[in-house]
Amino acid sequence: MVEAVPGAIGRVPATDRKAVSGLKSRFEHQNWAAAIVFFVALSVMPSLPFFEGWMASQAALIIIYIMAAQGVSILTGYTGLVTVGHGGFLAIGAYTAALLAKYTGLSVIPGMLAGGAMAALIGMVLGLVFLRLAGAFMAIGTLGFAFFIGAVVNDVPIFEGRTGISLPPNTLFGFEIEDYGFYYVCVVALALITLFIYVLMRSGVGRAFKALRDSEKAAEASGVNRLLYRTLAFTISAFITGVAGALNGQIVNYVSAEVYGDIWYSVDILVAAIVGGSRFLFGPYLGGFFVVMVPFFFEELADFAFILKGVVLIAVLMFAPAGLAAVLARPVRALRDRLLVAAGSDSGRRAGERGGAP
Amino acid sequence: MSLLRCENVTVRFGGVVACDSIHLEVAEGKIVGLIGPNGAGKTTLFNVLSRFQDLDAGEVYYRDRPISRLKASQIVRLGIARTFQNINLFAEQSVMDNILIGGHRHLGNAFAHMFALPAARRSERRIEARAVEIAEMLHLEDELDTAVGNLAYGYQKRVEFARALAAQPEIMLLDEPVAGCNDAETAELEGIVRWINQSLGITVLLVEHDMSMVMGICDYVYVIDTGTNLAAGTPSEVQSNREVIVAYLGEADA
Repeated sequence: MVEAVPGAIGRVPATDRKAVSGLKSRFEHQNWAAAIVFFVALSVMPSLPFFEGWMASQAALIIIYIMAAQGVSILTGYTGLVTVGHGGFLAIGAYTAALLAKYTGLSVIPGMLAGGAMAALIGMVLGLVFLRLAGAFMAIGTLGFAFFIGAVVNDVPIFEGRTGISLPPNTLFGFEIEDYGFYYVCVVALALITLFIYVLMRSGVGRAFKALRDSEKAAEASGVNRLLYRTLAFTISAFITGVAGALNGQIVNYVSAEVYGDIWYSVDILVAAIVGGSRFLFGPYLGGFFVVMVPFFFEELADFAFILKGVVLIAVLMFAPAGLAAVLARPVRALRDRLLVAAGSDSGRRAGERGGAP
Repeated sequence: MSLLRCENVTVRFGGVVACDSIHLEVAEGKIVGLIGPNGAGKTTLFNVLSRFQDLDAGEVYYRDRPISRLKASQIVRLGIARTFQNINLFAEQSVMDNILIGGHRHLGNAFAHMFALPAARRSERRIEARAVEIAEMLHLEDELDTAVGNLAYGYQKRVEFARALAAQPEIMLLDEPVAGCNDAETAELEGIVRWINQSLGITVLLVEHDMSMVMGICDYVYVIDTGTNLAAGTPSEVQSNREVIVAYLGEADA
């Protein structure tokens, strides 16, 4: 090994690096423990005495929104690309699974994967086109895409317009499943997608995404191929939202242009990603819960729910632009920073982007 | 043998000729300086070398291979790393992450990394080990978790050097490395540049305004003015060149 730069540049450190790295792996374990507890809770929830079938469906719906917002977060949070048209991918996933179920009898899980794959394919092609557009122009392009998909499902006969397509009952490994079975499919899909995003964002690929977000020039000078990595991000993002879309059709055994024909889904999942906090692994969890449960609680006052969503969005953008997840993570981070400082780390200045527990 | 060579590099911005048939050669193992008054075309030439700027005529050769059609992201894979005039880092990310990005060139198969396959984990460990090693060499090891945006200017400069070094380049292009630095930081960075060249054996091409630094550490100096080659030679030759003096200080009254 080459010797270090001569001379006493830098200050004399007091850091106990072993203690600091020990603490860090402990925090990591805590995050994992929190995630495992959370998913165990999701799994045992249906066996609680007060739990009923409609709650399973409601919870599954929240999970679907979480996944859709996770797809958005890959782009807006991690890669720094604004998309306002992800409802288009949701629709592609939903219709792909619906058509395959209707005409070939494809069951839930293959349908979900097919929906994701179709969205990913179209996402990749669109990525190659849109990523040549700068900033706001790309956002407008994605909006145009959502309108285009809306028009297609309205007018192209195979999608059966506002009449819609009814899906056969959902099956899993040859058995018909209802509320509870479908709920568990959603929980497993959510866990796998979350794990995938966790691995992705800690890998060199996730690093390249974030590098492009923070400084395109420095990223390219370091060898990050801008078009390749952004297209990859676009594809992954479309896949995840497409999976959510497939489930979104399957859960009600019905898709129609009434639902997928305009851009409200695009708005809703973008709001979920932003309100929750798209740079946090658990941000879309909060956002998905919020977007689904606000209309649920204000069922009688649908217009009020709409207004409330808007007000909360504005408030979050003003007071917590990093999302609700950032607000919740702050005390945990502050505590951990104190522990690190106690261990000698020079930390009040720690990097702001370590993910918390999902 | 020249490692990096420019032949007749010409860049026009509309009617302005930023670089007019510039010639430049960087010999392997040397520290070569590129100086010139403001607006001489130094940064444009630098951007041509690192492919952030297209050229209108001429060619750039790296080890006799023409490179003017490559993408900016391919340049570092040849072994050419660069730093920027005004620090260009990932400000919100930690020092460690910044250095790791510099090692992107050694990543290998991106798909293996997305799913944390064993081969990817091995290459990731190598990149991480290398990043820590570089941080230690540059005395940044206690700042690895610090967000770069929270560091003092001199530290940030060092992180930028570390990021470039993580690519394990053969040549480093330094765009005004000491711009905006105080005397102590300048002396420190001068030491680092010398160390990069002598201990790591990396060839250096640097653009600089700070005359004393250029004269102190460069083996060879090119002077350009209004987009053309004005002079070239050892620091002492250049310093006594009359045209250079005129370009910098203006014509003396006879």
